[in-house]
Amino acid sequence: MELRAEIQIKSMIKALTDVVLPAVDPVNQLAVEQTRLVIGMLSLMAKQLPIQFQFDRDELNRLLGCAEALLADRAAEPGYANALQQLATTHQAGTRVLELSVIDPATLVQAIHRLRAATSDVVAAVPGTSDPALVGRVERTVMEAAKEQLLRDRSLLLPQGWELDPNAVPSIETLLAPLPESP
Amino acid sequence: MEIRNKDFPSPEWIRSLRQRYPIERRVDYLLTRKMERRGGPGYSPLPLTTLVDGVEALLENSLNGARFAVSEARWLSGGASKLQMAFTLDWDRPGVGREQTSLVLRMEPAESIVSTDRLREFQLIKAFEKEVPVPPVFWCDPDGEYLPYPALIYGFAEGSTKPKDSGSGVSGTGIRLSPDLRVKLGRQFVDHLATIHRHDPGDPILTAFDVPEPGTQSALWGVNWWDRVWEEDGGEEIPLLRVASNWLRRNLPTLDTPSIIHSDYRLGNFLFTEENAKITAILDWELGQIGDRHQDLAWTTSRTFSGVDDDGTFLVCGMMPERQFFDMYEEATGYTVNPKTVHWYKIYNNFWLASLLIGTGYRVARNGKTHQDVLVTWLMGVGYVALDQMRTQIEESV
Repeated sequence: MELRAEIQIKSMIKALTDVVLPAVDPVNQLAVEQTRLVIGMLSLMAKQLPIQFQFDRDELNRLLGCAEALLADRAAEPGYANALQQLATTHQAGTRVLELSVIDPATLVQAIHRLRAATSDVVAAVPGTSDPALVGRVERTVMEAAKEQLLRDRSLLLPQGWELDPNAVPSIETLLAPLPESP
Repeated sequence: MEIRNKDFPSPEWIRSLRQRYPIERRVDYLLTRKMERRGGPGYSPLPLTTLVDGVEALLENSLNGARFAVSEARWLSGGASKLQMAFTLDWDRPGVGREQTSLVLRMEPAESIVSTDRLREFQLIKAFEKEVPVPPVFWCDPDGEYLPYPALIYGFAEGSTKPKDSGSGVSGTGIRLSPDLRVKLGRQFVDHLATIHRHDPGDPILTAFDVPEPGTQSALWGVNWWDRVWEEDGGEEIPLLRVASNWLRRNLPTLDTPSIIHSDYRLGNFLFTEENAKITAILDWELGQIGDRHQDLAWTTSRTFSGVDDDGTFLVCGMMPERQFFDMYEEATGYTVNPKTVHWYKIYNNFWLASLLIGTGYRVARNGKTHQDVLVTWLMGVGYVALDQMRTQIEESV
């Protein structure tokens, strides 16, 4: 899916900066201020999104370190001991999450891009073979894969309103493979 | 698998693409110009005064020093690809005398969602101005000699793209016509298309066009054109587009008679006056070329631009059932409609539409090249509907 947040945010900032803000009535201070704030917020999102995963993983790692220090310093009072026990349980779960969180979403997208490109190269190369049956098989395989993927692409974009029969497209939530259970 | 920096294309890569995809000479020139300029700055808002200065420079040259005045300059919206400025020109109009003429400057941004040619647009409208209703076109600055970018100056035409009581979506889709308007506009709609297709492609005004040889050259130029655009602009690869390219190349249709084709002939792309149900101007000639009439027929009959009758029948551009449209067309032109060729062009049309919307849309918005990147980005979503239509159409043909 090429229509991603990165390019959406960039184009929204340009529209607001180049077209909308200069057209806002300068007398309406509230409108001017809020337009500037929206531009600022979108710019912040553009900065945050690519590193959000890394940021969160970094925080989790340091929180685990902090929890380990707290767990090492025990006391006998029941209230405090109970709280520490809760912390130990969440520390264990958090450690497992950190162990599983090794792939940055950007790496996932990069892997998708590379596989799409390599698949395209196969499709582009197959007419050069002397086996028409192979051409048919390769193209059918790619067509089948495209059918499933395009259904998800279209479902994700349903709010845009392009579909002639939107009811014929299942919701994106029902189409996506479930994520592995959280620890 | 080669990773290229398409935002800063090298001269060697540009050269290799030109060799790999032979196309019409003027289209080759436009795509090459686009690639050579890509590494340059994005589009920054231009003050109206800059455009007025450019218009005045163009007019000083075109009117040979005659007295004129430009006033009432203002921005216009409309269209996904070009900037538009309305203004009034006080001048001695040939054959009319002193006049205040309302005009529109239509200018490209730094890089457009579709690389088309103001000179070709100008020549096509001039070729048809006495045969079908077109907006009057006055002057052309094809290489941006006077204005910041290539531009064209049009006159206004009377009418609207939709009835007063109809809504519409982006780019004029979703317009609803009353049964009476369907009949009255439908006849003219077919007749004008017939006139366009019957026009002599050897018309001497059309110097910016190549006439394809009978055979497969026209279809091959088309596939090469959009394969090249996808190579130049596309970001994330789409293997289905490669399947489509293979299929199109294996099944190239044979051109019997070259015709001038409009390439975007549909409801929403012509003006009409509702009170007398008369088509007053056929718009958006920028993708016009000399090629196969079936390309227009496939485009015009696309479901994307269709309407639905009360009984659920699909209506071509909301006007008439497809069979009736083809019958009227055959009668008006004397040409036959080959359903297999129409089907090939339906796949081809979705192929280029998806390449343009997803590939070029992404590239120009990524590099901040237009005055409405947000619209270009929004329209990328239509590309996925076009891709799925294309996939279904290829399946139907197997």
